[in-house]
Amino acid sequence: MNTRKTLASLTPGQSAYVSVLDENIYTCKLLNLGILPKTKVTMVRRAPFGGAFYIKMDHHQMAMREDEASTIYIQETL
Amino acid sequence: MKDENQMPIVALLGNPNSGKSSLFNYLTGLRQDVSNFPGVTVDKKSGFLMLDSGLEIQLIDFPGTYSVFPNSGEEKIVIQTLTNDKDNNYPDLVIYVADITQLDRHLLFATQIKDLGFPMILVLNMIDIAEKEGYIIDKTYLEQFLQCEVVCVSIRNHENTQQISDAISSRFSGPKEVLNYQPIYHLTDQENFVATRIAKKLDIDNFYKAKLIAHHHEWLQHLTDDNKIFIQKQIEQSGFNNIRQQVQETMKRYELHALAIKKTLTKNNSEALTLTDKIDNWITHRILGPIIFFVIMLMIFQAIYSWASLPMDWIEQGFALTGSFLSENLGNNWLADLIVNGLLAGLGGVLVFVPQIAILFLLIALLEESGYMSRVVFMFDAIMQRFGMNGRSMVSLISSGACAIPAIMSTRTISNNKERLITIMVSPLISCSARLPVYAVLIGFVVPDIKVWGILNYQGLAFMGLYLLGIVGVIFSSLLFKKILKSESTSFLMIELPNYKPPIWQNILLSVKEKVLSFIIGAGKIILIISVLLWFLASFGPSNKMSQAVEAAETISLSNQLDAESKNHLIASNKLEASYIGHLGKWIEPAIAPLGFDWKIGIALLTSFAAREVFVGTMATIYSVGSDSDEKTIRQKMAAELRPGTNIKVYSPATALSLLVFYVFAMQCMSTLAITKRETNSWKWPIIQFLFMSVLAYVGAWIVYQLMA
Repeated sequence: MNTRKTLASLTPGQSAYVSVLDENIYTCKLLNLGILPKTKVTMVRRAPFGGAFYIKMDHHQMAMREDEASTIYIQETL
Repeated sequence: MKDENQMPIVALLGNPNSGKSSLFNYLTGLRQDVSNFPGVTVDKKSGFLMLDSGLEIQLIDFPGTYSVFPNSGEEKIVIQTLTNDKDNNYPDLVIYVADITQLDRHLLFATQIKDLGFPMILVLNMIDIAEKEGYIIDKTYLEQFLQCEVVCVSIRNHENTQQISDAISSRFSGPKEVLNYQPIYHLTDQENFVATRIAKKLDIDNFYKAKLIAHHHEWLQHLTDDNKIFIQKQIEQSGFNNIRQQVQETMKRYELHALAIKKTLTKNNSEALTLTDKIDNWITHRILGPIIFFVIMLMIFQAIYSWASLPMDWIEQGFALTGSFLSENLGNNWLADLIVNGLLAGLGGVLVFVPQIAILFLLIALLEESGYMSRVVFMFDAIMQRFGMNGRSMVSLISSGACAIPAIMSTRTISNNKERLITIMVSPLISCSARLPVYAVLIGFVVPDIKVWGILNYQGLAFMGLYLLGIVGVIFSSLLFKKILKSESTSFLMIELPNYKPPIWQNILLSVKEKVLSFIIGAGKIILIISVLLWFLASFGPSNKMSQAVEAAETISLSNQLDAESKNHLIASNKLEASYIGHLGKWIEPAIAPLGFDWKIGIALLTSFAAREVFVGTMATIYSVGSDSDEKTIRQKMAAELRPGTNIKVYSPATALSLLVFYVFAMQCMSTLAITKRETNSWKWPIIQFLFMSVLAYVGAWIVYQLMA
């Protein structure tokens, strides 16, 4: 099922839409930074030395770790 | 409730990067002060503002906040203030600043503040950028939705900013907020159950406020233990799920304000690369990114040394002129001696470094304002995790290059306890600006002043080496702490990478001014006290010992047929040795002799335990007491210093290098220890910090001296 794919599986340049978020103490932080269901997200690049993800949304961008990205489930279309 | 006659308090609130602080700087200019929120070291910037109507208000710039569900200590302070109407900073009016191009996210906290019942003015900032990007703005629906006044401005260009002051004025003179306010978010039945009971028990008139108190009761300091137990009971009874309720409220609010945004902003979505995208393709590139970072760091250090040298010369000459003017005109008495050789020598030795410190703070402020610092966090998070820290620790470590105090305070953005503690512990190992004076004086004894390839010089490279040594110290001690310390909570990175913006110079200059002033005042106080104390201890001693010392010097001069100058010098240095401070220095000499230090250096070590920059002031005091008051600089006097009875220089390369290594590692800053105590809320950590750094300094210096001597 494609809903089980997470943001962490995207390779640089790929885009997808957020479907659901795992609920944990940092979920609100993600929401505050604009990661919401139906948001279009693009994985732009990874940090040097296999580090954080550079994620671009409609008109802003953020950084997150791989384990944070894997709490965000994605789908290819809306 | 607060006194009715008190000056109205107006709070500036908004997300980070909304332009909130720029508005604060614009409105208050130079009439602002920085203090702390009660009980914590979070900066509270406030200023008084006289409105056109003649009413005076107090404006408070609160830390940038994303929502009422905080993730950092700074955000918690904001929520704590907003949920306690007895708090001294509880606002009568909120000016909420939002970036119009980020309205979907920035409106979240605005609707929450509105639902808390605060009168509010919404300032939509950056209309200049929005118009350039093709947005069309219509604020009518938004004003209805939020039931408050909305003004569209560009704080950067001072466009429409007069409307903000007008809106504040009319708020306090005109009719009060509409009484029948309709909450934007309606509590669910479960939330209502808990909120109603809490509101009744705590006598709160706003149910949304009661709900927030339920969410945050564990850390809100204005709640009594009884009330906390009561709230806990209500939560258990109703099955109120803290996290789920927060997530659901946030999603619901996004849904509710989405329509308002749709009716306010019309924009054409383009997929084209923005300027930020283009810059980040280079700046955060996997290989180029770190290279660019190190080039920037190298340029910063070169800039400090090349730009600062001219103003430093001026300050040095200014103090020399004042000194000789005063000693000619004040006559030859103890007061003149105290002023010229005690106070002036001590102060001059430190003030001369203000240009370097100002430049360092300026460049760091530039990196922060432009948005580059969060890219550094992104790039280095993985590496920092290997050392038990967080990408955010990088910002603290870079700030430590200026001063460990703001660096330790900036660790508040790190929510994980272990990562934060490690960052606090190792930050003082990065060479701060207070070490610059010491390095500058000593480095000449080890490294010649020769240029390489026309631009770099050996002394500049040696400075670089000392900074690198500090970084090596950070690496090893953080690995050690990572092994020892246990983590209590999980850690997160999740950080906004704001769009690049040209810096607003007023913000930068105000921040530099504030930091330089606090350095001068903070260090100045300690230096004045220590200079006077030192002058006293060096000028007086047990009276029989002092006279014996003078007699001995006279006998030697007579038998060796010394000229007048050499005789005076000998008397002065014998007197210093016989003085109280001489005794103190001699007393610790055995402990520091293996490091190559004599008793005079010992005195400087003792006095610089309060603040390391005192070293130079101490040297100035000791050596101007120790010889005739000719206008030789401290360094020349130190260079001429010989080990008693020999022709061997005290400041041999081995001793100077050992002393340098000592100053790289040693914890000689009372203010840093005090901040560590406040930030960790225990004496344990400052004590550990002091001990591990002292051991590192002693062992490091010992190894260097034993290898070189």
